[in-house]
Amino acid sequence: MTDTTPLLEVKNLEGWYGESKALHGINFDVHKGELVTLLGRNGAGKTSSLRAIMGMLPRKAGTIRFDGHDISNTPPERAARAGLAYCPEERGIFSSLTVAENFDLPPVVAPEGMSRKEILELFPNLERRWTSQGTKLSGGEQQMLAIGRILRTGARTLLLDEPTEGLAPVIIKQIGSVISALKKRGYTILLVEQNFRFAAKLADRFCIVEHGRVVDVIDRANLDAEKSKIQAHLGV
Amino acid sequence: MPEIFGIPLTLLFGQLLVGLINGSFYAMMSLGVAIIFGMLRIGNFVHGAQYMLGAFGAWYLMNLPELLPGWGLPSIGYWGALIIVPIGVGLVGALMERLFIRRVYNLDHAYGLLLTVGLAMFIEGMFNVTYGAAGQRYDVPDALQGGVNLGFMFLPIYRAWVIVLALTVCFGTWYLIERTKLGSYLRAATENPDLVRAFGVNVPRMLMLTYAFGVGLAGMAGVMAAPIYQVGPQMGQSIIITIFAVVVIGGMGSISGAIISGLMMGLAEGLTKVFYPQASTTVVFVIMVIVLVLRPAGLFGRETTAHSTADVSSGRAGSILENGKLWFGILLAIGLVLPFTLFPIFAMKILIFALFAMAYNLIFGYVGLLAFGHAAFYGTSSYVAAHSASVLGWPPELCVLAGVSAATAIGALFGWLAIRRQGLYFAMITLALAQIIYFYALQASWTHGEDGIQSVPRGMLFGFIDLSDSMTMYFVTLTVFMGAFALIYRIIHSPFGQVLKSIRENEDRSISLGYSTNRFKLIAFTLSAMLAGLAGSMKALVFQIASLMDVFFMTSADALLMTLIGGVGTLLGPIVGAAVIVTLQTKLATFGAWVVVIQGAIFVLSVLFLRKGIVGTVEEYLANRKARRENNAVLPDKAMEPGE
Repeated sequence: MTDTTPLLEVKNLEGWYGESKALHGINFDVHKGELVTLLGRNGAGKTSSLRAIMGMLPRKAGTIRFDGHDISNTPPERAARAGLAYCPEERGIFSSLTVAENFDLPPVVAPEGMSRKEILELFPNLERRWTSQGTKLSGGEQQMLAIGRILRTGARTLLLDEPTEGLAPVIIKQIGSVISALKKRGYTILLVEQNFRFAAKLADRFCIVEHGRVVDVIDRANLDAEKSKIQAHLGV
Repeated sequence: MPEIFGIPLTLLFGQLLVGLINGSFYAMMSLGVAIIFGMLRIGNFVHGAQYMLGAFGAWYLMNLPELLPGWGLPSIGYWGALIIVPIGVGLVGALMERLFIRRVYNLDHAYGLLLTVGLAMFIEGMFNVTYGAAGQRYDVPDALQGGVNLGFMFLPIYRAWVIVLALTVCFGTWYLIERTKLGSYLRAATENPDLVRAFGVNVPRMLMLTYAFGVGLAGMAGVMAAPIYQVGPQMGQSIIITIFAVVVIGGMGSISGAIISGLMMGLAEGLTKVFYPQASTTVVFVIMVIVLVLRPAGLFGRETTAHSTADVSSGRAGSILENGKLWFGILLAIGLVLPFTLFPIFAMKILIFALFAMAYNLIFGYVGLLAFGHAAFYGTSSYVAAHSASVLGWPPELCVLAGVSAATAIGALFGWLAIRRQGLYFAMITLALAQIIYFYALQASWTHGEDGIQSVPRGMLFGFIDLSDSMTMYFVTLTVFMGAFALIYRIIHSPFGQVLKSIRENEDRSISLGYSTNRFKLIAFTLSAMLAGLAGSMKALVFQIASLMDVFFMTSADALLMTLIGGVGTLLGPIVGAAVIVTLQTKLATFGAWVVVIQGAIFVLSVLFLRKGIVGTVEEYLANRKARRENNAVLPDKAMEPGE
């Protein structure tokens, strides 16, 4: 653990959808260059936490600090401009846009983004489908497009919501290697996962989310010792 | 002279040219409506008024020295107007978005439509007050005077210019949206505005600019139209319903669909004028019906899966305000006293409009379908009853029966066509269908056009009750009203009514429970049409007239306004709303042309501030009081609990 202030800090985050409360006080932080994963079952509040950080939750309370600024009440476009890049669970590929248009859609928010060439080296499949309709891609290709397009923007902090969901093992492996490559490049990554085996290979820290709270934080160093505990949390 | 099918070619080409000109305007206008609907999910009913603003803008600029004498302003001609006016109208649009339309994005489609209807009434009413219904002259610019003889026809240069310019603007807009980076933002935001926002795009501002752009297109069309049509307050109102029909034909969400169907519908009108002139005003609506039957999504549309029904009701089950037996007694008591405190004719007007609004509430409040063409049922029934009484000499009970039967039949037909589509589509379709009835009533011989059927005899009910006496007529009307009240109460509390409410709350769930929801919706729609028809034929007897006003779309808007002001989906709302609106209309009658302005303002204000309606607001107060009481009752117990 570094002693600097965290890049992303979430404190007592509460969130509601209409009348029903989804987040009951989420606490965690992410340091620069770290890969932190939010692990938990369906409906635990992982996706809602990401949406709250992006300012997409209709009603919330608590503090979110990013890069020294309080972003608790900023609208989504400002959060994005501050350097947070969001890859939603449903991938969010636009069907009325071609692959190329989908790729170029997110505006550049900072100078040091990856070039198209670099991104296409990570995801060679995309190039062949460049002029297809976005939603004509396979699930795996859509996921690659969804991750690829946010690397262009120059944002250095990535919020990835279940990038492995519903994908074939060989694609999951490919995405895993891309994520670790991104980590090596110095990206800060907050990864939401249900797939512990996938996250175990990548993450520096594991935040266990249950019933809208972070119930446990486990460092990579203690992973083996705590494995059974994590399994118990995630087990159905 | 060369002929084809016995029609002189010059006539044919002349009408095709007129059709192409109209089509150019339809294309530009429906393009704007389609863009605005695609991005903002707003059925921009005020589009016609914005087009009218464009034409008046051009006229203002031309007459600046006379309008503002002493300012030393120059007269700005057509070319200047072509640039300044669209920008100006666009800015007005941006302001309207900022002040009003933005507030209803997250609400049901119904409110967006109501709000824009109110704004249209307000703006058009203001111009009507200032300029009267007569049109102002605007000359064709010098550079575009004259024409060319093409051998088979004479082509005025200005008309050729309009077609070329409109096509250029339409194609340019299509290119902008479908082929550029900016367009990709628009398309993406149409699909998933939240995500586009999360990528760093200021979507709210983009929505405002989109609205301004669509409105600017209408403003530009207005400038282009000024030298062709007369510049008058009504010019927008006469085009907007056709535009809605064009958008339905083209298919919502399709930019090219709006352009192509705009042009095609103009041509179709032109051709109809040659071969069967009587139908030229309705041909677009008839084509819309055919398209709906064959391709419900429209010619170029994608199937949209917008949520189907609108739960905007503010009623609360089990409330004292929903107790039908209690209120039946109270209403009856009020009804018996009413003619001794008010003029019977005024009291009857309230009863009839209350009945009409209750009929409307049945479909809008309890099924959640935003119907916008109930004037068709009300008016048809009014005409049929009036005709049966004055020409056929039938007794009143048969007249009412005939009127109600006609309304029910039309209701079943319209319902069958309209329930194929949902949400805002449903509103646009019912509106367009009602417009067919309106144009029919305008042209048919037995309806006597602008005059209507006057001096309808009230006759002898069952051969012995003389209705010519106002008091007698009043008590008959009261009986009909109370009967309808009891019937509606029975319907909504029957198992059938429970299914209707379940459709309103969650149609998919009702389907999964095994209900054929379309059949329920159709039956409810037909019942609603039947009761609206009952109001219409009673109206013909009470006021002894059936007129175009009865089938005019504003009458549909009235029913909606009464329901909204009273409280949608409540038992008493339509009655309270009708009493309020009828009283207002009567009090305001002395203000003449201002009535429409005030009514428009009421529309806007009630959408912004009184969405629950009067009864709904009282209901909310009662519910809060009940909740407070229960909390108070619970609190002492809580205090006994040790710690927390």
